[in-house]
Amino acid sequence: MAARALRRVPIEPGYFNVPDDPEKPPQLLGSRCSACSEVFFPRRMVCAKCLERDTEDVLLGPRGSLYTYTYCHVPMFGKLDAQVSGYAVGQVDLPEGPRVQSVLTGGPDDFRIGMELELDLEVLRRNAKDEEVVIYRFRPCAGERSQP
Amino acid sequence: MLGVGMTPFGKLVGPTPIDLARVAGLAALDDAGIGFDKIDEAFVGYMQASPMTGVKAMKEFGLTGLPVTHVENASATGLVAFREAAWAVSSGRCDIAMALGFEKMNELAGSGGRGSGRDQIDSPILPAAYFALWAQRRMHERGTRPEHFAWISAKSWNHGRDNPYCQRRADHEITVEEILASPMVAEPLTAMMCCPISDGAACAVLARKDIARRVQPGRPLVSVLASTLQSETYSPGHTFVGPVVGPATMTRDTAKQAYAAAGIGPDEVSFALVHDAFANEELEYYELLGFCDEGEAEKLVEQRETALGGRIPFNTDGGLVARGHPGGPTGLAQIFEVATQLRGEAGTRQVEGARTGLAHLVGGGSVCTVNLLARE
Repeated sequence: MAARALRRVPIEPGYFNVPDDPEKPPQLLGSRCSACSEVFFPRRMVCAKCLERDTEDVLLGPRGSLYTYTYCHVPMFGKLDAQVSGYAVGQVDLPEGPRVQSVLTGGPDDFRIGMELELDLEVLRRNAKDEEVVIYRFRPCAGERSQP
Repeated sequence: MLGVGMTPFGKLVGPTPIDLARVAGLAALDDAGIGFDKIDEAFVGYMQASPMTGVKAMKEFGLTGLPVTHVENASATGLVAFREAAWAVSSGRCDIAMALGFEKMNELAGSGGRGSGRDQIDSPILPAAYFALWAQRRMHERGTRPEHFAWISAKSWNHGRDNPYCQRRADHEITVEEILASPMVAEPLTAMMCCPISDGAACAVLARKDIARRVQPGRPLVSVLASTLQSETYSPGHTFVGPVVGPATMTRDTAKQAYAAAGIGPDEVSFALVHDAFANEELEYYELLGFCDEGEAEKLVEQRETALGGRIPFNTDGGLVARGHPGGPTGLAQIFEVATQLRGEAGTRQVEGARTGLAHLVGGGSVCTVNLLARE
């Protein structure tokens, strides 16, 4: 595997990991309640369901199913490419339990409710240390089609 | 309810937020028929202005030493200020209270960005996208069509045509086709299904019943039956990241609490004002507020039951989508309309025989408030 020219860093720490292997999908950083086992994204110290004050860190994803989506015909904040005029947004149900709202990678016709999606990293910009600042996205899994 | 006042909503170039607050507050005092010296306590609602602006706004009316509290609950701010004023009076803490909301959203427009910290994760998903996600799921589950949302929006635009305080006053009857043909914002929501950016102020003055009767002997007495506020309860599939206003059941739970407190059911409500920042929300609230069974909201649209003249008119003043949604004053503009309707002063948009009105808002974060007012 060829070494990447630039190091990748998350836009904000504590929400997702950035694997060293660029071929590997990222995972989300969540919490599992030590008492009732409910799983949350993002991480939290107190269980939202049973109020237990003890949670443990868990990795979530990288796959989930699309609960709902929309395509926004307006420019997005913070894009590297100012030419991109629209973007998709969805809610993705992870097998561990949480429903995650996220930007989706794809065009207006690339999605259908129930399809399987996988986490991916998108480069937003380059920072002063010449690192690539990345954020998580979901994209359709290979072989998934927008029309049933 | 002793008095209400508001400014027209719209893009108001010139006046400051405090100027707007003064105009709405003085109008409410005039409508109440009392001076500012009679106000025992004030609750001020705004979202965007800097700290202390609430107290500074109240100084416009005079320096009487009254307690002033800033209330902020996103889109629900105005109704939450109203709730605090209602409870301040009904608890016996004071005799007369004022709720005042103001905002200049246009001063904020264009200042957006990804922000810093956690905001960098949350901010790329706009409120329009969030509610479009509701709409898409509804269409998937119930076979709802964009035409249903468009009819709701056209209905509200047309209600607002005769309201002098309404921001988007069309000079012709708005059609479903026109709504659908406006630019797409977030599928299936078009620009005419989304609320505009607004400035404005609105105010309500509340008093003990015996005071209201004494000050206004000739006027129908409008009283607050219930004022409830809830935040989220955890449910499986709960969403924590991005804009969140929900789960949608938050409206159902808050409404149930309000109906129980008022001792009435939805069948006794004459008209409703709800958070239709996006037209598809209103469809969901038909069910969640108990005006039809689950899965029956589309029928209410098809039978035009929520237009003026129908079984349960919704957003008689144009709603957020036409009247406008400045944030802080939005809920108090709803109270203005509820009071106007219950007094029988709504002119061409009067709901015949209006006895009980409902005002509902949700706010990001998230919260829901449901208020029931009645003419005695």
